[in-house]
Amino acid sequence: MSTRRIGWASVFLAVPLIAYVAAVVGPGLYSFYYSLTDWNAVGGTANFIGLRHYTEMAKDEHFWHALKNTAIWTGVAVVVPTLAGLGLALGLAQVKRMQRLIKSLFFLPLALSLVVVGQVWFWIFRPEDGLLNLILGRVGLESWQHSWLSDPDVAFWSVLVAWCWQQVSLAMVVFLAGLTSVQAELVEASKVDGASSLQRLWHVVLPSLRPSFAVVVSLSMINALKSFDIVYVMTEGGPFRKTETLALLVYRSAFKTYDFGYASAVSVVLFVITLITIGLFFAWTNREDYQNV
Amino acid sequence: MSETAVLTRTRADEKTTAPQAPAPRRNRERGGRALALSLLLVFGIAFLTPVIGVVLTSFKSNPEIAQHGLWTPSGDLTTDNYMKAWSDGNAGTYLLNSFLVTIPATAISVVLGTLVGYVVAKLRPRGSGLITLFFVAGLFVPPQVLLIPLFKLFNVNGLYDTLWPMIIVHGGYGISLCTLVMRNFFRSVPDELREAGLIDGASEPRILASVILPVARPALAALATLQFTFIWNDFLYPLVFTRSDEMRTVMVGILSLQGQFSVAYGTQAAMAVLASLPTMAVFIAFQKHFIAGITAGAVKG
Repeated sequence: MSTRRIGWASVFLAVPLIAYVAAVVGPGLYSFYYSLTDWNAVGGTANFIGLRHYTEMAKDEHFWHALKNTAIWTGVAVVVPTLAGLGLALGLAQVKRMQRLIKSLFFLPLALSLVVVGQVWFWIFRPEDGLLNLILGRVGLESWQHSWLSDPDVAFWSVLVAWCWQQVSLAMVVFLAGLTSVQAELVEASKVDGASSLQRLWHVVLPSLRPSFAVVVSLSMINALKSFDIVYVMTEGGPFRKTETLALLVYRSAFKTYDFGYASAVSVVLFVITLITIGLFFAWTNREDYQNV
Repeated sequence: MSETAVLTRTRADEKTTAPQAPAPRRNRERGGRALALSLLLVFGIAFLTPVIGVVLTSFKSNPEIAQHGLWTPSGDLTTDNYMKAWSDGNAGTYLLNSFLVTIPATAISVVLGTLVGYVVAKLRPRGSGLITLFFVAGLFVPPQVLLIPLFKLFNVNGLYDTLWPMIIVHGGYGISLCTLVMRNFFRSVPDELREAGLIDGASEPRILASVILPVARPALAALATLQFTFIWNDFLYPLVFTRSDEMRTVMVGILSLQGQFSVAYGTQAAMAVLASLPTMAVFIAFQKHFIAGITAGAVKG
């Protein structure tokens, strides 16, 4: 009986294993190998050169700039959507009439692709006829108008705004799901005890949302670390590579300058950073937080 | 729920001697709720401005956009942009390619992830924990890490600039999420279900197909909805693994349109709307499943 069970387990695992190794494990290992080679042309050969790309990287100001951008990007993309999503979810939970419709509207950005989101925000940020400068002009704040995506000082933040806009929906969805599981009895009891709404929020609602926080933060973190589409669509990393993140640097090194070895090295660094960040976060939060969301 | 309400009412009566005391609180609460609702409404409109903007633009004629700007409301609405996106913009080819990639890749990843999830949750061979970790670890691999070796692979085996790379990569890469969601689901299915099948003399594949899967329908729907959206919206793989216009999926197609008609915003907007319709339709039809999928996918066991 038991050997038959093990036999079927192997049969069931065979095809998934092949597909997963072919699409993920194999390429992942190869990236590490290529990072140690001088492969730098589409048809070219890959000769072993040890850690040279990594020492090169340590001296590459573009790498450090991309690393800094990725760090800021991830920090903002975790904090802002989490707080905004929480606020919206708390507000939406109060809505009794037309709740389904209103919720659906707020969830909509989640189904939009980042390419479309990036394009729409590109239009909002256009200097001549973009919505933002139009509004600023109407209300007499001409001095605030900018070339939002071509001014090196603000371009990064403009793209980040567009990113956060979409991520708010994600946070809201998870928090709303969490809020429905907050025990009504606890809330009622705190009302009876004369707790103010703020006290209730702080002592009853927020603590019971802990698992949702863990989920929102880990999801936004993973998404932020690999974000590529929206930056590519809105600025392609420009102006003057000011909006380049690590994910974009990998793409640029590989498919614009064909330095596949160096690009692989950057991708390995991105992978290690992702693992460490997520690992630290998981170690910091409770395991139980992920059990029942 | 109603029991608690009764309970609180009696307790509140005991506490307050003045009978009119609860009234102001209820009023304040109602006022607070109205304030929250109106705030939400204002915020909601601001929040959705980008979406509304692109839909309106897609119905404005290009001369009018050139004359009055992108964001000025317009009286005349036209469907010309959609015709143009279809005839000059290749929208038909792009959309067809996206379907040809998304449907098989969604099916493959869901089927394979279901197999792994079932093995580690129900057959439980030795080392199931490690098997789970191995398959789920892909969630933490940024796609950029896989890009270069895959690019080389598809160049060598002649699949570059076809739809196969996206099907293969999404089918394999999606196993991680699908394994996670299905394992978590199968763990909530009682073992007795499988054992009853065994006693009836059914084989393992038969039990999975005719006993377990029917129960798993909601989880499968959630997962398929989620995977469909992810794969449809993907931009990076088709950008890197295809080159010719005939092989582009719609997300990359939007951008090539940007290159061709640099001022035809109306046409671009129409293309963006067309590209978003399938995921919107799936999202509206399966919203409940979609949300269940996101929250379930986030669960780490």
